[in-house]
Amino acid sequence: MTQLNLGPIFRSLLRNKTGAILIALQIAFTMAIVLNALFIIGERNDLMARSSGVDEANSFQISSTGFATGFNHLNTLEEDLREIRALPGVRNATTINSVPISGGGWSMSFQVESGENKPSTPSSIYMVDEQGIDTLGVELVAGSNFTKTDIRLRDGTQEGWPQNVIVTVALANDMFPELDYAETVGKTIFINNTEPMQIIGVIDQLQAPWIGWNKLENAMLSPEYIVGDNWNRYFIRAEEGMRDQTMRDVEELLAKRADERLVENLRSFEEIREDSYSRHSAMIQILYVVMIIMIAITGKGIVGLASFNVNRRLRQIGTRRALGASKANIVQYFMTENVVITTLGVIVGIALTIGLNMTLVSAFELGRMPWYFLPLGGLCFYLLGQVAVFGPALKASSIPPAMATRNV
Amino acid sequence: MLKMENISKVFRTDVVETHALRQFSLNVDEGDFVTVTGPSGSGKTTFLNIAGLLETYSSGTYELDGKDVSNLSDSARSRLRNEKIGFIFQSFNLIPDLNLFDNVDVPLRYRGFNSAERKKRIEEALETVGLSNRMKHLPAQLSGGQQQRVAIARALAGSPRFLLADEPTGNLDSKMAHSVMDLLHNINAQGTTIVMVTHDPGFAKQAKRNIFVRDGQVSENTLVEQDLPSAASA
Amino acid sequence: MFFYYIKLAMLSFKRNPILSLLMVLAIAFGIGALMTTITVNYLMSNNPIKEKNDVLYHIQLDSWSPYEAARDDDAPPLQLTWTDVNNLQQAEQAFRQAAMARSGGIIEPENPDVKPFQSSFRLTFTDFFPMFNVPFIYGAGWDASADQNAEHVVVLSRDVNDRIFGGENSVGESVTISGETFQVVGVIDEWHPVPKFFDLNTGDFGGTADVFIPLSLKLPMELPSWGNTNCWKPPEGTGFLAFLNSECVNYQFWVELTSPQDEARYHTFLDSYVEQQKALGRFPRPLNNRMSNVQEWLEYNEVVADDAQIMMWLSMMFLLVCLLNTIGLMLSKFIGKSGEIGLRRAVGATRGDLFMQHLVETACIGVAGGLLGLLFSYFGLQGVRTLYGEFADRLTTLDSNMMLLAIGISTITTIIAGIYPTWRASAIAPAGQLKG
Repeated sequence: MTQLNLGPIFRSLLRNKTGAILIALQIAFTMAIVLNALFIIGERNDLMARSSGVDEANSFQISSTGFATGFNHLNTLEEDLREIRALPGVRNATTINSVPISGGGWSMSFQVESGENKPSTPSSIYMVDEQGIDTLGVELVAGSNFTKTDIRLRDGTQEGWPQNVIVTVALANDMFPELDYAETVGKTIFINNTEPMQIIGVIDQLQAPWIGWNKLENAMLSPEYIVGDNWNRYFIRAEEGMRDQTMRDVEELLAKRADERLVENLRSFEEIREDSYSRHSAMIQILYVVMIIMIAITGKGIVGLASFNVNRRLRQIGTRRALGASKANIVQYFMTENVVITTLGVIVGIALTIGLNMTLVSAFELGRMPWYFLPLGGLCFYLLGQVAVFGPALKASSIPPAMATRNV
Repeated sequence: MLKMENISKVFRTDVVETHALRQFSLNVDEGDFVTVTGPSGSGKTTFLNIAGLLETYSSGTYELDGKDVSNLSDSARSRLRNEKIGFIFQSFNLIPDLNLFDNVDVPLRYRGFNSAERKKRIEEALETVGLSNRMKHLPAQLSGGQQQRVAIARALAGSPRFLLADEPTGNLDSKMAHSVMDLLHNINAQGTTIVMVTHDPGFAKQAKRNIFVRDGQVSENTLVEQDLPSAASA
Repeated sequence: MFFYYIKLAMLSFKRNPILSLLMVLAIAFGIGALMTTITVNYLMSNNPIKEKNDVLYHIQLDSWSPYEAARDDDAPPLQLTWTDVNNLQQAEQAFRQAAMARSGGIIEPENPDVKPFQSSFRLTFTDFFPMFNVPFIYGAGWDASADQNAEHVVVLSRDVNDRIFGGENSVGESVTISGETFQVVGVIDEWHPVPKFFDLNTGDFGGTADVFIPLSLKLPMELPSWGNTNCWKPPEGTGFLAFLNSECVNYQFWVELTSPQDEARYHTFLDSYVEQQKALGRFPRPLNNRMSNVQEWLEYNEVVADDAQIMMWLSMMFLLVCLLNTIGLMLSKFIGKSGEIGLRRAVGATRGDLFMQHLVETACIGVAGGLLGLLFSYFGLQGVRTLYGEFADRLTTLDSNMMLLAIGISTITTIIAGIYPTWRASAIAPAGQLKG
């Protein structure tokens, strides 16, 4: 290997700036877009990778709305739960007012001290029965579960909230930052400023219904059946691998009384997740497409410039060969030239990438890009350049040395 | 120094076979100054290309500096060109984007000399051709004769044993052409073997030895007067 | 001369089809991406009722807690309480006024062949229809007396009328809604303002409603509160009425004034109303009422999604890369033509002639790129629709403005991009190509 011709290559490029600058700028802008796109994709993937706490693969929901006159809500609810739980393939079922990460739900504020204008912590509330913990697939890590007698009827006739509640570790820590979550069992907290309730248990994790909420991990289980408006949502956990069959069975079971109620919204948890995160996954897919097209266009630009340079320098390449350059030297020349151009592109690209990221940070509250994106991204563009320029370089190396003595 | 025996070169396309050289034999001794003349299409350039290892041949044997070069690889031939042969082209073939220093530097880079060695040789070579004060100029800033002198400097910088010149005066006016020829004679006088293709009978006569190529074959020392006008018009 | 240049441009295309195609493709990709994102942003930032922008006002009253503002910027809550919308409605201080809210329930058609179905309601007052220029196919909005007396009257959307009555004129027919019998008084045509400016609390780009019924039925029928409900203190007492009378906000209130000059008067009225309420012990915060016209309201709610804006900025940079690419291709194309250019110069073409010739060629590439880019943006929008689903249905239609914009942007940007290569081409010396 002879030494790199960096000096002469650089000086030669300076005499033919335009093409090189065009490519360097393309590399720079492509780098800025691709790295920022990758960063956004990474952020979105992180969002989507968060666990809801639910046994997602085996769970689904279905809702029932009675419309017939004389529809008995409470009886229907109890009978439905009994029959659903008895179905083969069903591990457990509960009523629930809303489903984690589904987009709609109920939140309230909780205080450690009673009274107006005291610090409060917001949390989502899931109204479930004593089978809620097992049905959701969350783990009780301290305290105890609800018993049947904890379940209260929310039928509009009585004020207030149930006496006993269960909270997530995150909510326990949020309300009692100085305590270990296990020590919060037995603590009294206040809802509606002054109404006391007691924490009887702590579950490991359960997300709120709103994926964009900054208190996403704050959730509370409240032992209640909502009756009076003839509407119910059932949340069902199937045995491992039995979900699809169970979904059909449960729908069929509830549809037996289709003349007095509407059975709808049969949706697996996976579907609910997909829907909630559809904008993020769409963004990810669009960004991937944009990245691929841009890299292809820039790659094509590099190939184009290199081919143009090869064609323009046929005699020069022949002369170099005549003067003793081996084929490898010629390939090396074009590869090195590309390294010089890419270096220029990457330097400008780093500035543009940081600039674009800073703009996105300030305008759209995106995160700050970690530093290692820049060297890794730069490396990838060197690789892209080398791959793109290899074809034209190989073509250049096959120019015969006798080209030097050919007269035009 | 250079020994060709029965070299043939055939160009084949699907329909035609062209014999550029047939049974071409030639011996050039160390320190010789040989001019090659002949009409257009006679095979002069093919001879030069083969002699300079720029092209391969179809049959025959060729020994350069006592070494058979028939079966060398492309990269071995490149190295041989680089170390033993200096080229001078009709249209100079300087690289327009590079200044004189970098142009003379080109073969030295492939030689693998360190930068101090290269610098010394470039400066010496440009000194020899009288252009050491123009090192940072670009070729386009020089006259044709000056450009050819740079090309000669480039050919000399690697101290080759053997200089191949392809009509070095073809693109120059007569005053410049004479100064280039004087330079070549000086170089030859210091021991470098020179083979030069030319159209100019005057320059051809100045050489120690003269060969004439016609239809791909050699006719030694037979400068035929009536061939000269046609040669000059090529 | 212009047509001669067009002819030369076509010849140049033919001579170098691959290079020309690459240029057109690069521009088309850039334009396609940009037009896709611009369209989505344009539709998101659309004002669907421009003609009345200056006379329609969304009302906000600061009924929030004494301890903290409803929103970060010390702004009043986005919605109003049941008490306030009814008081403002009854005050009739504007040319037209409509309180409104979302609700829903089951519709049971008389026809036994059509199954009962869940539907969304817009509870409002009859001014809603003329105020927002709602188009009717059959009938009209209900009488003002129906609002007063909480009559069971309904205006159906076209979809629901098609579903229940097969698209026939159903005015005078009956339909059971949430268990009670309603009389149809009108059927509206397709009406999908984008964005759904009058209620931006849920589903900015969703459908309007399946049926429209008087808001005064909310209490007697105990209709559920859909959309967002926010409370800063719990209802006093139990039951539906206590909930309605609480400080929870779930209602929107819009007024139509006779002229923009009337705004100050109405604002004064709002302030005096709040002062009255303060005397009754409500509205613990300082006076902070707001009136926003449609455009201001859309902007305040930041209807345009961040992602759509990010994509638009990225696609601008994308187009820039495509143009840089095109400049490179043009340079090599024009330099490859230096023989021809030298010849034209030799036979007497001026630099200006050559500049024009190549500028026309560049513009042709720009127009072709724009047209192909339009096709790409059509596919791009289809892609967006597939990816985003229902949300994007109304955000992905190309209108004629957008098409003209696409051709315009691509032609202008391509010409700008082409200026340097064109200048280089026209600067080629008459005998320049003869040099070895």
